Amino acid sequence: MVEQTVHRRNPDVSWRVIEGQAVLVFNIEGEVQVLNEVGTYIWEHLEEEDVDTLAGNIARTFAVSEEEARRDLLAFLQELRKSGALL
Amino acid sequence: MDRIPSLEAFLVEPDPRFEPFGVSVAGLCVSFGVPPGTPQEPLREQYGPFLSEEPPAVAFQVVPGEGTYLEMAPDRFLRLEERPLGEGRLLLSHRFAAYRSGRTGVVRVSAPPGTPAFLQAVENVLRWTVADLALEAEGFVLHSAGIVREGRACLFFGPSGAGKSTVASFRSRSPLLSDDLVLLLRREGRFFAAATPFAGTLPQTEKHPGIFPVKGLFRLRKAPEDRLEALPRPLAVASLAAACPFVTAPADREGRLLPLLEDLTGQTPVFDLHFTKSGRFWSLLESEVLHGRADGPPA
Repeated sequence: MVEQTVHRRNPDVSWRVIEGQAVLVFNIEGEVQVLNEVGTYIWEHLEEEDVDTLAGNIARTFAVSEEEARRDLLAFLQELRKSGALL
Repeated sequence: MDRIPSLEAFLVEPDPRFEPFGVSVAGLCVSFGVPPGTPQEPLREQYGPFLSEEPPAVAFQVVPGEGTYLEMAPDRFLRLEERPLGEGRLLLSHRFAAYRSGRTGVVRVSAPPGTPAFLQAVENVLRWTVADLALEAEGFVLHSAGIVREGRACLFFGPSGAGKSTVASFRSRSPLLSDDLVLLLRREGRFFAAATPFAGTLPQTEKHPGIFPVKGLFRLRKAPEDRLEALPRPLAVASLAAACPFVTAPADREGRLLPLLEDLTGQTPVFDLHFTKSGRFWSLLESEVLHGRADGPPA
């Protein structure tokens, strides 16, 4: 599967970072989700940074290998898309 | 098939013969002008202590509807849908369509005045409008039971079936704000809770129409033993957001509701309340929250 490099948040998802964790509210269903620190970093930067840049920055910021960062990033983006948080 | 009325359906000249009745929720007042001859008794019974003659923030005129608007859902659950229309917003259900723009609106109800379907239409429009007015007034409606202990409000929140009415039934002589929907308002930086007229399972006459500082928020969890567990603030905000009905516009949620919830959880402790159907959880709340270690904002 080829991972798209540009991601867009769904405008129907309201969000706010509280004490370093993003709280997502899905406006249609009224469901909510709380992201962990890494998830919040991705959520905040995914519209400005492509996958390669994101993976590199995650590796540096959270002291993990770039390979691991990329693998987890792709899985997380897929989860976000599946939940409807991304367009 | 759903039938969505056009804006023209709501271009109704105000009729001075219509009789207004106003409902006030902690000063947020909405009035409904009903056709002459509409039985007033069912409305008075439904809203008793909340009836008001204050100038309304929003005034609706209620006129006859034109059949069914939304088809019944296959599971027979009530369908309520909101959408923009012209410069205002439209709320639709099976038997009514309501349009509001600014401080006025029109409700078209396809049921004879005074019937249960008519009352339900008025109730839904009232909930929708009060939720909007609350946001404008730095507040929101929380799906919760509100009980006043020593002059301070404890709010027990969760979806239908979480145990709100059960908790309310163990309040002893403590005043009840609601067993279903409580209004929260921020006043001079602090949060207060007020009763709402919205129908729960307990009668209106059991509600106390005052306004009280919020002491604690408790997400309800039915359990084999009573215990309290502090909720981390992001989870507290998320849980509260999930318990705020009626706020559907993304801009309102993001720009107004979430900042309010962030402020609220910064000054008021939020817990998971694991409770049994015994009422013993009150002694836990007394020792841990009302007089105890959590007596104050979270660290």
